[in-house]
Amino acid sequence: MSYREKIAWLSLIAMAVAYGPYFMFVGRGPGPWEPLPHLHPLGLFALVSIVRMLVLGAGYLYLRLGSPRQERQPLDERDRAIEHRSLSAAYYVLIGGMILVGCFMPFSSTGWTIVNAAIFWIVAAEVIHYSVVVASYRVQASS
Amino acid sequence: MMQGSISNRIRTLRFMNGEMSQAELGQRIGLTRQTIAAIEAGKYSPSLEAAFRIAQVFNVPLGEVFQWEVKATPLKAS
Repeated sequence: MSYREKIAWLSLIAMAVAYGPYFMFVGRGPGPWEPLPHLHPLGLFALVSIVRMLVLGAGYLYLRLGSPRQERQPLDERDRAIEHRSLSAAYYVLIGGMILVGCFMPFSSTGWTIVNAAIFWIVAAEVIHYSVVVASYRVQASS
Repeated sequence: MMQGSISNRIRTLRFMNGEMSQAELGQRIGLTRQTIAAIEAGKYSPSLEAAFRIAQVFNVPLGEVFQWEVKATPLKAS
């Protein structure tokens, strides 16, 4: 498994660990904090983002120490092609989600539901980005 | 459209050049070992520039490294 594939796996794991519980919590429905500008959910989101940073930081350190220097080469043309493909896929998810959140949700939802929906689509786009990276490296793996 | 696939002789050429490693070939043309492995296995088609670089490393024409194999398609009755 290449170093960049490991990084993509790490990013997926960090997002699952951090945002999985967050969206399970906020997905239960509108809470008493629903009307803006209630700052309770903002604190929760900050905590979740810190957890993600900690998982990413520990993972990067582990991978950096465990990988030989020659594995950590700069991007080559295949890496760039994979990056381009994954970002294109993520872009369509993000733009679709933002159209939904910005153009349709204001007619049916309010407050933190809209904010969390926007966060959800940003995270979904990131998940698609790293998933396409992992899938591309898997498909092109020679053994 | 004409159907076909790209095959290559990189493994053979590496063997003929002192059992050159994938990592060494990659280093000489600015690609990673994994990319060379993917090209060798026919799972990634390199850019024209990278293909020429590979040929240059082995000092052979491009056609000796990469070949286009046309798939036989049945003729349609007119």
